[in-house]
Amino acid sequence: MMPHEAQERTVIETKGLTKRYGGLTAVDELDLVVQKGAVFGFVGPNGAGKTTTMRILATLLRPTAGEAWVAGHSVVAERRDVRRAVGYMPDFFGVYGDMKVWEYLDFFAACYDVPADTRRRLADDLLELVDLVHRREDYVDALSRGMKQRLCLARALAHDPHVLILDEPASGLDPRARVEIRELLRELQDMGKTIFVSSHILSEIQEVCTHIGIIEEGRLVAAGTMEEMRRRIQAQRVVNLGLIKQGAGEPSSQRTVEEAQVWLAGRPDVLEVGPVAANGEGDLQLTFAGDDQALAQLLSDMVGAGFPVVTFHERTGDLEDVFMRLTKGVVS
Amino acid sequence: MIARLRARQQALLDHPIVRLELRRIHRKRWWPGRRFFTFYPALVGAGLGYGIVLAVSDSPGVQIAAVVTGVPAVCLLTVCAGLLAFTLPWIAPALTAVSIVHEREVGTLDLLRATLLTERSIVLGKLGGCLARMWPGILTLVLLTPFRLVWIGGAGWSVYLPTVAELVEQPISTAQILWLCLAGLAGTLKPFVDLVLHAAVGLFVSMLARSSGVAVAVSYGAVIVVRVSLWLMRYLLNVVPMIRRAMIDTSEFALGDVGMVPALTSSGMVVVELVGAAVLVWGGIWWLKRA
Repeated sequence: MMPHEAQERTVIETKGLTKRYGGLTAVDELDLVVQKGAVFGFVGPNGAGKTTTMRILATLLRPTAGEAWVAGHSVVAERRDVRRAVGYMPDFFGVYGDMKVWEYLDFFAACYDVPADTRRRLADDLLELVDLVHRREDYVDALSRGMKQRLCLARALAHDPHVLILDEPASGLDPRARVEIRELLRELQDMGKTIFVSSHILSEIQEVCTHIGIIEEGRLVAAGTMEEMRRRIQAQRVVNLGLIKQGAGEPSSQRTVEEAQVWLAGRPDVLEVGPVAANGEGDLQLTFAGDDQALAQLLSDMVGAGFPVVTFHERTGDLEDVFMRLTKGVVS
Repeated sequence: MIARLRARQQALLDHPIVRLELRRIHRKRWWPGRRFFTFYPALVGAGLGYGIVLAVSDSPGVQIAAVVTGVPAVCLLTVCAGLLAFTLPWIAPALTAVSIVHEREVGTLDLLRATLLTERSIVLGKLGGCLARMWPGILTLVLLTPFRLVWIGGAGWSVYLPTVAELVEQPISTAQILWLCLAGLAGTLKPFVDLVLHAAVGLFVSMLARSSGVAVAVSYGAVIVVRVSLWLMRYLLNVVPMIRRAMIDTSEFALGDVGMVPALTSSGMVVVELVGAAVLVWGGIWWLKRA
């Protein structure tokens, strides 16, 4: 059993979880805690070890070292109890194409020991939840990818698990289908389920998540609530600024962008400065460490130093930046 | 008791994996269906009819007519039954070899493993399901077994041919009849046991293989190897006592001992095949658990 005081509150916990495939370490000493009722976004580049972690939590893989508990049961010693508590949706999944939609759900409900007389009703309820009632009698093969994804999610709910492990539920979907999946996740959260969801695209899930964990090379590089993660961005703010452009024939009375860059690099509160990426606004992008006062001071100092500043605005940080900063892109 | 058995049978038929396999024959209508069940009684009735006519009739003409038509009919059925007994086990690997590897290929195996189905349940369900898919063939073979017994009986007696000379002088002992019955039982069970063994080989290969095509090819290769080695084993077991017998004085040899060797080898083979199948299935379960 889980050696944890807040046992009822913690739904997923790993301690030093490690999985090696020969010489390759897919998951490296991973320590993770997911609280009850949370929607935990597990983010990382492709090949970071997300799927391996999830497969271990779903009892499909045995860890090389370390331990993991789901709903208070060890994923190694109490696999059946874990399976009863978990609804798992893999990133790559097949369907029995020659089954009808309701047959598919009925089949998996049978696999989860749901008695035959309640299965029919259950299939209808699940189809209603994922909005596929109108496709009830269709063959699974005839469904679109987004629908199959939703059907697979319904399948994972067949035994009414209180933990959901969803591996890239929105990958390869069109924007509309993505929104639908997101809505569905919200609905499931409202139903009180704990959701552990992975994605390699943070923006895809950041709206529904309450917690975020970022993994790279099998290690957890950052984890916390959305608030905490946002605060990390606030500590380092990104500012775009633009100067008045000089025409070719105009007298060069004004100071240039290059000079501004040198000037800014000399300031202690500017951590980083460089030209803006191709599609960004302004000329320079700087990473600034300091509060609003300090930022206002920087602007007035720049103007005082004779730089023709026309745009100066802070980029409202999204988590994508944290992600980009924390992950080195080694794997991908 | 009966209610419990019935519940158990219902649970077995309701096993999700068995149903998964069986749904494939619901969709494909290649089996003649009920027509077979009107055809079979007619066949057996005709066979019995000939026997009755032969036994009851005094007229040599009627008897000859019955023999002339009845014997070829029974022979034909015997040959058909023998052919089916030989071919049916060779169909099994084609079904089982893809059963697990295909699930892995399309990505449904993980979905199954994540459910409450145990590894044992998945593997046994696949085996049972694949065999259940062959039910028309298995049923036909069961129904043709009376005709096969004619063949097995003939083959059984042929083992005794070297001792025919002695038979003339000595009556057949009770022990000999018992040995013959054992040999007959083993012969009757053999195609079914072969079927299970071949299915188990296919299933085991399916567990290890990476693609369906490779799995089928390797399964048939493995089945051929298994068959050849079993045949060699049986041949040696039969031949060694024969040589021994040839080298000692025949007159001292009791007839009961003569019947013992083929009876024991054929029933021993059945046991060996069953044990082999069990080991393969168990290995498959272990392999799936180990993942």
